[in-house]
This record gives sequence, C-alpha cells and structure tokens, in this order.
Amino acid sequence: MTVTSADPRVATADDTPLLRVQSLGIRHEGAELEAPASATFDVARGEVVLLLGPSGAGKSTLALSLNGLIPHAVPATVAGTVRVDGLDTAHTPVATLSTHVGMVFQDPDAQLVTGTLLDEVAFGPENLRMPVEIVLARAEDALRRVGLWERRRENPDRLSGGGRQRLAIACALAMGSPLLVLDEPTANLDPQGIEEVYAALGELVAAGDRAIVLIEHNLDAAVAITDRVVVLDADGRTIADGTIDEVLRARADELHTMGVWLPAATIAALRLRAAGWTLDPLPVSPDELHAALEAAEAPAADAPASAADVRSPGPRVASGGDATSGGGISVPASSLGVIPSPGDRGTPLITVRGLRTRRGRAEILHGIDLDVHAGEFVAIVGANGAGKTTLLQSIAGVVPVPRGQVVVDGTDVARTALRHLSRRIGFVFQNPEHQFIAHTVFDELAHGLRLQKLPDAEVSARAFEILRRFGLEDKADVHPFLLSGGQKRRLSVGTALVAGAPVLALDEPTFGQDRARADELMHLLRELSRSGTTILIVTHDMHLVTEYAHRTIIVGDGRITADAETSRIFADDALLRSAGLRQPPLRRAFAGLRRHPSLAGITRLTDLPRALDARQTDAQGVTS
Amino acid sequence: MTTITIDPYASIGARGRFLYGLGPLAKLSAPLPAMVLLVFARDIATPLAFIALAYLVLLTGARLTARLLLLLVVAIPAGALVLGLGMAVWTDASRVDTSVVIVQIGGWTLYGGALFIGLATGVRLAAIISLALIAGLTTSGPDFVRASVQQLRVPYRIGYTALAAFRFVPRFGHELDVIRQAHRVRGAHGGRGPFAALARWWGYIVPLLAGAIRHAERVALAMDARAFGAHPDRTERHLVPWRVRDTVFIALFWLASAGILIRFFPWSL
Repeated sequence: MTVTSADPRVATADDTPLLRVQSLGIRHEGAELEAPASATFDVARGEVVLLLGPSGAGKSTLALSLNGLIPHAVPATVAGTVRVDGLDTAHTPVATLSTHVGMVFQDPDAQLVTGTLLDEVAFGPENLRMPVEIVLARAEDALRRVGLWERRRENPDRLSGGGRQRLAIACALAMGSPLLVLDEPTANLDPQGIEEVYAALGELVAAGDRAIVLIEHNLDAAVAITDRVVVLDADGRTIADGTIDEVLRARADELHTMGVWLPAATIAALRLRAAGWTLDPLPVSPDELHAALEAAEAPAADAPASAADVRSPGPRVASGGDATSGGGISVPASSLGVIPSPGDRGTPLITVRGLRTRRGRAEILHGIDLDVHAGEFVAIVGANGAGKTTLLQSIAGVVPVPRGQVVVDGTDVARTALRHLSRRIGFVFQNPEHQFIAHTVFDELAHGLRLQKLPDAEVSARAFEILRRFGLEDKADVHPFLLSGGQKRRLSVGTALVAGAPVLALDEPTFGQDRARADELMHLLRELSRSGTTILIVTHDMHLVTEYAHRTIIVGDGRITADAETSRIFADDALLRSAGLRQPPLRRAFAGLRRHPSLAGITRLTDLPRALDARQTDAQGVTS
Repeated sequence: MTTITIDPYASIGARGRFLYGLGPLAKLSAPLPAMVLLVFARDIATPLAFIALAYLVLLTGARLTARLLLLLVVAIPAGALVLGLGMAVWTDASRVDTSVVIVQIGGWTLYGGALFIGLATGVRLAAIISLALIAGLTTSGPDFVRASVQQLRVPYRIGYTALAAFRFVPRFGHELDVIRQAHRVRGAHGGRGPFAALARWWGYIVPLLAGAIRHAERVALAMDARAFGAHPDRTERHLVPWRVRDTVFIALFWLASAGILIRFFPWSL
C-alpha cells in the first residue's frame, strides 16, 4: 500500500484516513461561483459516509473530484486538496486513482461498454493489464457479491434497472479499490430496483472491506447503512460532520431549514415534536419512528381525539392546505374514505370505456374502464412494463386508440387531430427537451396558440401570462435549451397548459431528478390542482404519490388492478407488493400503530397533527 | 420488449461450419480484391460468377438459418432486380445500344442496351454485398475489434470506443421515437410532402444531439473511471490468433477469384 506521510500527524499507516478532503473548492470552467466552496472531511477505511447538502451545494462535482475526473477529464479550477491513500488527486492520473476509488454513477445505461456481464466487469481489470487469471477471479468475485454471477453470459440490456446498477457496483468492485463513491445510484430506479441496490450495498457494508461515500436523496434506505454524515451548506462548505446521532438527530431542525433533505421519518418526527409530542431521540427511520410513537404519550392538546379514537379529518382538512383542492376529497380516514359516486360530482371530465390499445401486433391494454372528474389529482402506478405509460398516452391521444373508447372533455380522442386535442389535454414528457420545438421560450408558448389561429395580440397576451405564472418573464427571448433544469421543466408544463387544457398528463416527470427539483415540480402541480386543473401522473415515486395524489390507480398486465383513494391503496400492503410496489417510509412508520390509532391511517406529511401556531404555514415548513 | 434487430455483441458460432473457425481478418481480406475489382467490371457474367462463389462459401460455411436463406434466395436477387430495372430506366438512352427495343411508351423507349447496363449494375452490387456477407454474417463485433487490435495494431482506444458506441444505436433509436412523439403532440410542422418532412427531421436533430452529447460525456467519464486508456495496451482475454487455416482460406479464395477474373477478362460487354 502506498502511503506518503504528507500529514505530519500520521503515526502509522493504519491511522491515515483513506480519503482526506481539505478546504476543497471547485469552479467549473465558465461558472462564476465555486460549488463546493470549501468542503473538508475524512473517510476512514471501511467507513460509510453519507454526503448531504442542499441542491446546488456541489455534491456531484465533489464526487467527480474524488477520483480525479475533476480536474483531469472535466475542466475546472480546483482549490484545496483531495488525497486518496495519500495520493493528491490533482497530480495523479485518473487511471492510477481508479485502483483506489471506484465510481458508480446515476445512469446505469451510461456505464455500459461491452456485450456481456462478464466482459463488463472484466473491462476495468483488463485496462489495468492484469493477467487473465486475476481478471477472471476479480470478475467472478465482484459478480458474486452483487448476485449476478449466474447471469454472466447475458447482455446487460436484459437486466432490469436495478440489475444494471448492481452490475455497475460490481464493475467498481472489480477495480479493487478500497473506496467506492456512489453518486445518486438509485435516482433512475423503480422501488424494486432501489431495494435490490440497497440489499447489495448492505452486504458490501457487512463485509466491511470497502469504504463508501454515498450521495443519495433516498435517505430512508441510505441511513440504515451509514456510519457518518457530512453536510455541506448551500455554498458547499462543510457545516456538520459526525455520526447520525450527532448530525441527523441533534441538528435536524437546522438542516431542514437549510434545505437539506432529511429522511421522511425524521421530517414527520420534527412535525410531531412541533405539535407537542416528545420524541427523543429523534427517529431517522420508519421503524424508529414507529417504536418511538408506541413509547410516547400523546400531547395533552391532542389527547381527547386519541382517547375517543375518532378519525376526525374535518378540522385538519379545514386547517391544512387541502381545503382548496378540488373535488372535496376526504382526508385521510382510510376506513371511511369512499370516492364520491359520479352523481355527486356531475359528468366525468375523462371517460375511458373498454380501452384496448395496441402497439404493433401486441395488445398492451386489455379493456380499461376509468372515469376522472374535474379537479382530481390521479397517480397511475405499477411495475415496469405494466402498461401505465401506455394508458396515459392513450388518454392523451399520443398513441392511436380505437374510436369511442376515450373521451376527454366531451371530445373523442381518436377522432381529434393532436393539434386540436392540445386544447383538451396537455402532455408533459419525461425529458422536457424532447418536446421543445421553437427557438425562444416565447415562441415555444406561442406555438400552441398560433396553431389555433388566434390573433397576434391574444397570442402574446396569453403567452406572457403563462411566462409570469411560471416565473419565466425574463427568459422570453432565451433559447429553451439554455434554461436551467428546473426552468425547462416549468416551461414544458407551461407549453402543455397554454392552449387552455383543463387536463395535464405527465409521464414520470421526476425521473432522474434530485429531490429539490422533484419537489419544486410537485408543488407547482399541487398549485395547478388547487386552481382546478385535473392532473394525471405516472410515477415510480411512492412518496410523491402519497403526498400529492388524491387517487391512485394501479396498473398490472394491461388492466387496472386497483383504483381508489390514495390512502386506501396504501393501506393494503399485500396489494402494493403484488404490484411490484413498496410502501413509502411514512406509511411504514404509521401503519398499525396501536397506542395512537388516530395516527395509524396517516400517509402524508400534511395529515400530521400540527402545532397550533403552525397551522397557517406552508405544508412543507416545519416550525422549530 | 423492444425490438433490437442487430446485436453487435452476440456471440456467433456453430459446430462443423468452417467460417466460424476462421479469423475475422481472413474472412474480410479473402474477398477484398474481388470486391475492389468488381467495381470496374461492366459485364454480367463476372459478377454472377462471384455471386456463385460467395453463395457456395456461405452455404457450406455458415449456419443455415431461415434468415440466411431468405437473404440469399429472396432479398439479394430481388434487390438486384429492382435496382437493375431502376438503373435501366435512368440510363441515358443516347449512349446505349439501341438495336433492341424492349418497351415503348409514347415517345419514351426502353432499349435492350439500357436494360443490360441496368441489370449489370444490379448484379455487380449484389456480388459485392454477397462477398461482404462472408465476414459480415459470421463475425461478431467484439471479435472483429479484437482481431483489428491484435493483428492490425489498431489502437485499442479506437477499437473499444467504437464498440461502446454500438450501444448508443438502440438508445438513440428509442430517443428519436420519443422525440417524434413529443413533437407530434405539440403539433409541430404539420403537413405532408418532402419539405415538411425535412423541416420535421431538422427539428428532431437539436434535442437528439443534446441528448447524445450528454450521454457520450457520461459514458466517457465512466470509462475513464475504470482506467480505460491508462496503458498503451490492455489485457486480451480472448486471443484471436492468425492460424494456418486463415492463410489457406485466403490463398484458395484468391486463386478462385483470379480464375474467375482471368476467365471473364476483360469483364466488359
């Protein structure tokens, strides 16, 4: 092992931190600000460090500097030092560092080079000119550790998303590096894939031979394997470095205010504390929260409700933000919640009857019946390949459907040209860039209006109204591709709505995005929903579903397997599992609470009891 | 679920079929002189003879699948015929033998000379394609890259990067589908005809390129992180040696090619 005694305090090789980051500041070429500005932390051998920070703190940039990709492959100005095994990454080639630091990136597809799993894992050791026997031995060991050895002869394309990300972990392991850096490894995965990846990581941590630096927004899974937490502030300065107890539990309020995403269980616990509950120590996982609640007394103010075991959604709906949501959906009251019959709400806005959609020769949807009323917020969920995207695309007329099976706002989708359909339903694709067709933001919005042959004055007025509404006024003349990620997403929603569509359909709009951006979009959708827009969304993120959707539809094998109020769907664990879905963390914490049955039905943060003085604040805010 | 027609990584092999036992470079260089010289041939007999040679090698040396037979028996002859007739119509009538009239429609005449030239062109292309299939149908992408790196001394950085780029093809195909769908939904560039189509395709290029560049950058970083290009060479787990049978195959094929070329010299009408 090469250990240069750069640090005077080092006495023996065993005391040297594996990774030492000191006052690291990185400015990308062409950028004005450094992000991170001054990060400092150590990682010891075998230690698992979770790196947290608000969006824009430069976490991914920091990750790239750990194996020298910054500054060697990505042009950037670097201040401070990163030392791995005593090697200064600024002056050591990436190839040398690759045997000290293994990397796993967010997009599993962008890490594949060869045609079989075995070749893929062997690729790194081969580049290091290792003898064939050692290459094979390492490949076998790495593939076995992630449970893919049996499939070594297959093309990686045939693996699921979770499988491909496990393969990427195996590839990093095969480099033989004592440190693994994982940058948002589960952001592109469905719930099952996330579980697979964390099962593999869990075994890795149990073996204890590799240190891990983990950047992850899915904290509920990550916290379980974490030894230490390092937190960067918005500028990218280290402001906390310690165990989960010292950082997550002791300084949760501070971190939350800063915009650092915390485990859902912790956020819930903070809110309960504000409402007078005593939860000490602060829970960081669903299980801990569950146990803490079973052990805690209900606060005096809330006691009568608990004692009477009355699920009284009434006052909460009135006090919470949901009072204005359309359709009068009751919250949460799983046992009482019945979707009002169509008679209560007049004619449905969307009617689907016996829908059979084909792609080529294969029938994807086998007879779907569905009604959606004006103002509903509907989530369509299901396993990969279940047909949920096809259902959404059929409703929006993106794929051809037989006549008379889908009616949106009084119009038969099959008989209407797409350009006229945009007045009834707007469709937002996963990647906003895909749907941009004009050279300026203004033209992008005006396009849909000009298609309707509106006079120029009206086109301009309506386009500017949308620009204002989505906070893009000063971007009217900018090329859509030059907007920031969040702005692109807002523009794509704007273009879908500009023609006046009462329905918005979104296909996995938060896929591959960080929590902050996903949240920004979901808040926007909630506001649209409150002002009367009907929203249909396909997503894998169960947290978003339970937080925002009034109603959830589970699609399996081209049929609707369940369709009910969101809280009712998530009360049925067996149903979720059979559909390849998982309970979001809040549900796992509150389900089956014996001591406080009034909390047992809670699925959303907004359903939690609130502190009296907090009732007027925004749903996401936590008073301290 | 998705239909990926060509898998450049698929391992190819069949027992008792000699083409799979030959090196990729031998299979490529054996028909190469004939393929080059066929460009200059103007008759029908020479290309026909080479088609016969290529078919003989393929039918005895490659695994007989329905796909291969369809290709050899239907696709190539039909392609040659269609191309031949097309070229016959297109040929400048003032420069051909006008002694035989095949068809006369109004003031336009298809002469026997034009038809002959057209068919000769079609058959020539069919011959070149058939010869290329000898290597094309029996060699996997990685084997070709390995042989190029090991024997032709092609830098491995180029060879393996090209191989990685094969992965992009189905991905971009899928991305293009989504972009077309998205643009259709937006009601972009309605209308029929070649100009509207051109405008439509132009609109797909920017988002496709933006996605492609981003993806390529990510793949490059991932490869760098695994020490790609660290050393002047890398471990080759699969050696693709040059064997005696490769030399024998090339010698025999060149002899046969020479025989055909001499027999039909000067390959003109």
